[in-house]
Amino acid sequence: MLKIQNYSISKKLTWMNMLVSGVALLLACSGFCAYDLYSFRDALVRNVSIQAQIIGDNTVSALLFNDPHSAEKTLSALEANQHLLYAQIYTRDGQPFAGYWRDRPGDTQPVPAIPAGQTQTYWYRDGHLGLTRAIIFQEKPTGTLYIRSDLGAMNDRLRSYAVIIIVVFLASLVVALLISRISQRVISEPVMQLAQTVRIVSHEKNYSIRAATNPNRDEVSTLIESVNEMLEQIQQRDGALQRAHGELEQRVRERTIQLAVANKELDLRNREVERATQMKSRFLASMSHELRTPLNAIVGFSDLLADGTPGVLNVKQKRFVDHIKQGSTHLLQLINDILDLSKIEAGQLELHNEEFLVKDALPEVLSTISPLAMAKNIRVEQKVESKSLVKADRVRFKQVLYNLLSNAVKFTPKGGLIGIECVDDGAFVCVSVTDTGIGIRPEDQKMVFEEFRQVEGTADSAHQGTGLGLAITKRLVEQQGGRISLESELGKGSRFSFTLLAVEPTEPYSLEEPTRAAVTMVSDRLTPLVLIVDDEVPARELLASYLEPEYRVAMAESGTEALEEAQRLQPNAITLDVMMPGSNGFETLVALRKNPETANIPVIILSIVDQKQVGFALGAADYLIKPVRKPALLDTIRRHVPSPGDDDSAILLVDDDPKALELLEEALRSAGYETQGVCSGARALEVLANKVVGAILLDLLMPGMDGFQVIRHVREEPALKELPILVMTAKNLTPDEIALLNRETQGLLQKDGSWKNQLIAELARVIRGHKLAKSAGSHD
Amino acid sequence: MKCADYKAALHGRRRLWRDRGVLPRRIIATVLWLLLVASSVLGQAKPGEYQVKAAYLYNFGRFVEWPSNITTASTGSFTICVLGEDPFGPALDSTLTGETRGNQKVAARRISSPQEYVDCQILFISTSEAKRLNKIIEALGNSAVLTVSDIPGFSQRRGMIQLVMEGNRIRFEVNLAATQRAGLTLSSELLKVATAVRKDGD
Repeated sequence: MLKIQNYSISKKLTWMNMLVSGVALLLACSGFCAYDLYSFRDALVRNVSIQAQIIGDNTVSALLFNDPHSAEKTLSALEANQHLLYAQIYTRDGQPFAGYWRDRPGDTQPVPAIPAGQTQTYWYRDGHLGLTRAIIFQEKPTGTLYIRSDLGAMNDRLRSYAVIIIVVFLASLVVALLISRISQRVISEPVMQLAQTVRIVSHEKNYSIRAATNPNRDEVSTLIESVNEMLEQIQQRDGALQRAHGELEQRVRERTIQLAVANKELDLRNREVERATQMKSRFLASMSHELRTPLNAIVGFSDLLADGTPGVLNVKQKRFVDHIKQGSTHLLQLINDILDLSKIEAGQLELHNEEFLVKDALPEVLSTISPLAMAKNIRVEQKVESKSLVKADRVRFKQVLYNLLSNAVKFTPKGGLIGIECVDDGAFVCVSVTDTGIGIRPEDQKMVFEEFRQVEGTADSAHQGTGLGLAITKRLVEQQGGRISLESELGKGSRFSFTLLAVEPTEPYSLEEPTRAAVTMVSDRLTPLVLIVDDEVPARELLASYLEPEYRVAMAESGTEALEEAQRLQPNAITLDVMMPGSNGFETLVALRKNPETANIPVIILSIVDQKQVGFALGAADYLIKPVRKPALLDTIRRHVPSPGDDDSAILLVDDDPKALELLEEALRSAGYETQGVCSGARALEVLANKVVGAILLDLLMPGMDGFQVIRHVREEPALKELPILVMTAKNLTPDEIALLNRETQGLLQKDGSWKNQLIAELARVIRGHKLAKSAGSHD
Repeated sequence: MKCADYKAALHGRRRLWRDRGVLPRRIIATVLWLLLVASSVLGQAKPGEYQVKAAYLYNFGRFVEWPSNITTASTGSFTICVLGEDPFGPALDSTLTGETRGNQKVAARRISSPQEYVDCQILFISTSEAKRLNKIIEALGNSAVLTVSDIPGFSQRRGMIQLVMEGNRIRFEVNLAATQRAGLTLSSELLKVATAVRKDGD
């Protein structure tokens, strides 16, 4: 359906004009018509009335003298009016007197009544006008006249009116149409032109087009001017926009060029940085090697000297050697810390995250810390939730914990207390180390995590450290997704806490509750078993941590239990505490000696009191005074327990540094191994070709053929495919190298301060593993 | 007032005015008609005839203009005189009763000699005077008296209006010359219905 709203303005105007003129005309015509008909009717009545009067006047004598013919003659004059159909004259008595019929004589109308006081009356009925008039002569009613007229005249008039109205109407509409056409030129044409212009502008986006202006001063011309103004503004803005766009493009182009240049520079710099980084890495690698190698020699030899391996030292010599040892150990620690820090800052720190129980990692740290704490008579209490499982790098975790604990020991006066707490809140595991040390001033609390910062006034010999420990600790914690914090009160103590990501245990970890006298190591029949007899749990745990994993450990908490266990387990050695409730150590020793089944088991007495004579007299194999240090204990036990390497071929030592070779040979020999040292890879291959060896201890960085090449050559030889290789290096290894070594060798040791015991333990392990494999192979 | 009562009252009133106008006339007409029928049945047409003629006498007066000095006669009334033997009986008087002409009362008078005509405007000459007609006409001379008679040949003998029977209708002839001589003016209307209009006494 076409809606008038959608018509164009000109059409609307035309419609409006037509409508208005049509309606006006129609109303006017109707009004005029109505008025005319009304007046026509009036005129008709008047006309008929006049005729009636004339007829009446002219028929008075006829009536009075009873002459109907004369009356009829008079009536026949009505013929002149074709619309008069019928006339009738009545006598005064109402009798029909004379009649006139236009067409043919018809019925005679009875005399119509005239209302009293009137001389005539008329009515319209059945399309006729009827008129009755009294005939009055000399004021006396003489008769009555009735005339009937049809309305033909009126109908004729109506017809002609209809025709006239239609003609006038149509003519007016045509004229109105013409006028509206002309008026469009005045009103709608400018609007249409404007619309067209706007359409073109919006279509072509050409804002320079202007609508044609109109000389008239009306709203349309105002609109056109406004549109033109708007277009002007749009054009200006468009121009400005274009210019801005152009400028922007230009700027972008310039910037792109600049960026390209900068990029190129950046690329260059990047390469430089990369080169620098590589150089730094190389420097670090060589530093670590070059610095550690001589230091290892110093530490190692001073260790040997202090242990009295080459001969007993007098007190003064011993003290000097201890000084050397202390200084070199400190230096080595410093170097290690610096290297660690550099690695962390260079983003080269490799973290090997694994899931483990905090509780499991704790003894390894405690075994290192306990001797230090014991030396200062510091009690170490631990409150660790047994189920706290973390995801972290186990080695680094131990390093963190060690740093905090050693710090605590360092700053806690004698007889103090150190607490280890571990709380698990589901998302994080929070480990805290509390001490009753000197504390840290609030203003210093932030500094303690910065490199080379030590709280003032603490740098006496008792507190000497590298100043890097906490900085490294902080970074290590943060690298593993945790946070470290410090609460401290000066003079009362400090509390360091760090968090690590907690792990929901996916499968229930079988928590190895150390049952009494249980064998805690894997039942490896080749690993020597040591029975620890002590009534105090911490003491037992500490000793166990010293001995594992080189030895299997069993425990007993009393003399009687010791006897039973010794008889049942037939351990390779027994450590025996003297001060025990019930039967004391010496009684137990006697009982062991009396029983033939246990008489040959070497018993090492560990006691706070020095009663060596009594001990040795009762048959003790050795006598150590508490606190016992790990190396001393291990050395002692090794002396009495047959070494796994005893019945084996020699260990081939490969190192380009003669000092290192000598140190290693000395250390291994003291542990009961045969050794043969060579100073190059090529030389090592020669030895391997001619002689059967139990294992290879290999340095990686060597002139000529390096350690990796040696490994490759060895593994290519079918006979040597299974030969245990232990790599011992001061080199900073890349992940690839570590992967390779993990695949091709049995063990990897870093040359640092405490390498000796670790080396011996590792060596024992790999040789045992090799032997097991061999025996399994021969049995098959 | 109840509706029905109102209607009845209205009806009654209408009846009233109708009665006032039409009914008496009807009654009169019916009585007249009965008289006429009775007379014709009894073989006596004359009373009816003279009834009409009485009305004619009056009506003639309405179409004739008398000279102004004559109309205002001493009696102050319009007098219709009957000369000779009265053929009208009571019909003339009853017809004229209450009638006026202008502001004059219309009255009838019977006279026996022509000399008594002085106060008469219309003079009906009875057929009994037929033999003395010439003398009567002469006696009247040119005086302004409208002479009417049903004596045959009246209009030819200088009489002014002669009533004649045409079938059973009564008509009249006019001698215009005679009226003009007497100074009377006859309406053309009257002349229109006259059976004959004579210009002179031939």
